[in-house]
Amino acid sequence: MTISFYAFLCGFLALTAVVAAEIEDILSAVISLSVFGILLAIAFAILQAPDVALTQAVINSGLVTSLFLVAYSQTEKQQFRRKDKK
Amino acid sequence: MHRSSVFFRLATLLFCLCLGWWFWKGIEALEHTGTLTGPAVHYVARAAEETGASNLVSAILFDYRALDTLGEATVIYTAVCGIAMLFSRSKYRKSSTGLSFIVKRGLGFVIPFILLYAAGIVLMGHLTPGGGFQGGAVFATMTILFCIVYGSNFEAARINPKIKEFIESTGAVMFTLIGLVGLIAGAGFLANSAAGFPTGRVGSVLSGGTIPLLNIAVGMKVGAGLSTIFYSMVKLLEVKYEDAVEVDRP
Repeated sequence: MTISFYAFLCGFLALTAVVAAEIEDILSAVISLSVFGILLAIAFAILQAPDVALTQAVINSGLVTSLFLVAYSQTEKQQFRRKDKK
Repeated sequence: MHRSSVFFRLATLLFCLCLGWWFWKGIEALEHTGTLTGPAVHYVARAAEETGASNLVSAILFDYRALDTLGEATVIYTAVCGIAMLFSRSKYRKSSTGLSFIVKRGLGFVIPFILLYAAGIVLMGHLTPGGGFQGGAVFATMTILFCIVYGSNFEAARINPKIKEFIESTGAVMFTLIGLVGLIAGAGFLANSAAGFPTGRVGSVLSGGTIPLLNIAVGMKVGAGLSTIFYSMVKLLEVKYEDAVEVDRP
């Protein structure tokens, strides 16, 4: 069980990391980063580091996400064309 | 221009996949248990009887390497002081009225359990995974929930920012004073059982000598500090008023 679950976890971690880095929408990136933090906490718990897992869960899903969301609520959407896209 | 953007995207993708592969290799460390080297041998063999704490991570953080923890706490203290000083001159704006009535009542039901969870993490830091930093972060998350759900005015009215700063400084002073007790006893700064603190029976609540006290000090510091950071950043935000869907009166 553990191997297949761990493989799923690693694949999903890479997926959420890529989404958080590449996506255009900032809100999706923030939420993706939050999911990444939770998955990382589960992975730490599997790797027998419960202290680190607790810190990771609290800091990443609680503090960092709320700070990013407050910062996002203060930004305004700008419509502009990227130079590299025609 | 277009080509370099594609190149960077591919590089990011490859980097993420490489890190994921590395993480996947971590499972092998669970199957092949290696041999311990260096100070780890001593810690695993003797830490429980020397410090009385059943959580070895906590024993290392607050007994063997307590000076490093003091430095870490000082880093947080400096960050909080800097941020509070940066934002202290800025104008206070009126906060929002918060979210809807249902969310406020729902949070009211959940808050005692979150408080209990945070206090449990701090007080049981020497027995189970957790400790001052994690529990303090849960406390700070709770005040952030207050800020978001009830509005930052409410949060400042219930928990005075001055009191928060006082709690944080008290935590720092408590940590240093406990260290000085060891120095007075002639065993060195932040000494635990060598300074005469009773270690108790391994696994009971009253055990570990100074470790629970240091946990409480760090919890006070981190909880008050992180919530001060969030509050001082949030208090000056400009609130865009929208049409209130429903208005609740106390």
